[in-house]
Amino acid sequence: MSQYFAGVDIGSTMTKVVIVNQTMLASVIGPTGPEHRKLANRVMEEALAKANLLFDDITYVVATGYGRINVPFADKQITEISCHARGVSYLLPEARTVIDIGGQDCKGIKLNNGRVMDFVMNDKCAAGTGRFLEVTAEGLGVKLEDMGRLSLEAKSKVEIGSTCTVFAAQEVVAKLSEGVPLPDIIAGLHEAIAARIYSMVRRLKIEREVVLTGGGAKNIGLVKALEAKLGFPVLLPPEPLLTGAIGAALLGRDIVKQAAESGTPLPKSERRLQQATLFT
Amino acid sequence: MTEEKKAEERKKRRTATEAAAKIGPMVKAMIASVLQARDEGKPIAYTFICCCYDEIIRAMDIVPAWTENYAGICGAKRDAQRFLERAGSENFSRSLCTYALCGLGFDIWHEELGQMPPDAPWGGQARPDVMLGSGQILCDPRSKWYQAAQHYMPDVPVYNVGLPWPPYENDYDYREVQDYYVKYIVEELRGLVTFLERHTGKKMDWDRLSELVDLTDRTWNLIWETYELRRAVPSPMGTGDAMNTMVPIVFMMATQQAYDFFKELNEELRRKIANKEGEIPDEKYRLIWGGGLPAWFALTDFNYFNSKGAVFPVETTYRMVEAVYNFDIDLSKISDPLEHIAWRWLKFWTYWYDKARKRPGSHPDVERLIQYIEDYKIDGIVMHEAFSCRTWHVGLVWQLNRLKKIYRDMPSLILESDIVDISSYNEADTRARIDAFIDTLEAVKSRGR
Repeated sequence: MSQYFAGVDIGSTMTKVVIVNQTMLASVIGPTGPEHRKLANRVMEEALAKANLLFDDITYVVATGYGRINVPFADKQITEISCHARGVSYLLPEARTVIDIGGQDCKGIKLNNGRVMDFVMNDKCAAGTGRFLEVTAEGLGVKLEDMGRLSLEAKSKVEIGSTCTVFAAQEVVAKLSEGVPLPDIIAGLHEAIAARIYSMVRRLKIEREVVLTGGGAKNIGLVKALEAKLGFPVLLPPEPLLTGAIGAALLGRDIVKQAAESGTPLPKSERRLQQATLFT
Repeated sequence: MTEEKKAEERKKRRTATEAAAKIGPMVKAMIASVLQARDEGKPIAYTFICCCYDEIIRAMDIVPAWTENYAGICGAKRDAQRFLERAGSENFSRSLCTYALCGLGFDIWHEELGQMPPDAPWGGQARPDVMLGSGQILCDPRSKWYQAAQHYMPDVPVYNVGLPWPPYENDYDYREVQDYYVKYIVEELRGLVTFLERHTGKKMDWDRLSELVDLTDRTWNLIWETYELRRAVPSPMGTGDAMNTMVPIVFMMATQQAYDFFKELNEELRRKIANKEGEIPDEKYRLIWGGGLPAWFALTDFNYFNSKGAVFPVETTYRMVEAVYNFDIDLSKISDPLEHIAWRWLKFWTYWYDKARKRPGSHPDVERLIQYIEDYKIDGIVMHEAFSCRTWHVGLVWQLNRLKKIYRDMPSLILESDIVDISSYNEADTRARIDAFIDTLEAVKSRGR
């Protein structure tokens, strides 16, 4: 009988669910927000429907990400550091460093043979995270998803002096009113965020290959700015938002396999496919 | 029980040792004794830790009011913000040391009212007769805080003790000029005695001073021997407790109470080791608190580490003593008490210099970490960058990188917040970092299995 494993990554802006057995069967990316976050069960239901499975068919569910605690349908919670490491190592085994640019934090992970050796995190300040771009995009009246493409049209980059997200948002509006072309401002923003990320991650003694994950990896302007800082190209997974959820599902599979091999009982929780209560 | 008291109780850290559990009441009694001394007209001095003058003020019957301690208490009771805001409204930068800001905010308010600020934690801090700063290199607020406080208390004189800390150089031995350092420190301490006699009317009792110098040497040795017991596996006491037991080290030195406290702790640790009783029942990871002052309002994070199987048998923070018999000089042969104090100071701050010189690329702070990692069988390093304490924290990342380069790679975690300013702290994020760090420790350990 086939066994199925689910990984649920509840981030600050997106909830991601992946279902695997020997291969990836289904993945869904849904929005997260104050209201959506507790409805992660709906993203799970969607993924089950895609895989043509029932919830009880899933042998093991691992939750990860910012909202992983108290997910009522998870057997186990594992930190996003471990899950990203596992997911990236599965997709790109040559990875030695992972830079994950999420909605409200940024992480650097050092890997050795797929295992976490060290990590750094920025969760204190929005500068260096997706939130920085969200706030400034709003100030510029540009869609977040257009920022990367627009920045590639820059003739010269504007220097953004403010390291604070709120002040940077004011600064870009001032630049706009001075007549500075939009692409030049956006390229400057990418330069600023890349500098913040690079200064944090280089604590880890960055080694190639470097893999970029998270929403930030979907912004071509930011990717180019980071590559310029690093001095070499980075690798991107097929879907940078899914690495944490893939890692969670694979870690679940590892746990089940280990328990079977060692004859120890499987660490399981009582699961209920219902809303999370953490944020209510 | 009031809601406030309930909240305070909830946040209280669990201690592993009986001795550490006694510290809270001891500190409370210490604060009360300063207030009582004020009522009795005894001279009170604002004082900083590690400024060489513990024996001097006690021999002269001057009552120390440890201002860093009081700011820490305000932080631990999560009642510092109103004092920080007071200092802020006087345009003191929020980037300054938050101990200093909290103390200044308290004094500003105190002086405005002519009495204690309302509901001051543990009854408040007594107004001083003198303030004893220091030109010690360890931290700049030691020379500037009391000068700033004097703007609001212009009648209170300040004395700044110059306490040199010879810079480390790998191709130069400070011992070539150590006599000059000692001579300078002795002159500074003599000046302090003269200052105190003039401003407090108290006379130095030189015999008493010699007795207290001897008591301090014995206490240093006892503390060092007691802390070395924590090498045991499982370790009977962690850094969380050491953040309590630092009180007799830095606020009660040169008192019989400090000596007796460590005698009791020593016995308790020996008992626990004999019974194989660790800080927690299932010790999985042994960590070093490798630098940084703690977030006083978040000491329960140590319990969180414990809940993940992690213990801290050793820390560099507040371990402000060495066994004096390990120094390269026999202090017992120095009869002049001020000279004795000066030599002890000099030898403490240069203790790791020789070891550092022997390892290419090393540094005294790094060498100390390496020694502790080996002695205490350490699996990982945790540091805390308190944003407002620049002097202590500016080199932590450098130390970590150096250690990994010249010694070996090991998992490390840098926590970020502050000593007093709770607005810098996010419990959920801090614990997410701790979780990830534990995952890393486990991954590294399982790789070695």
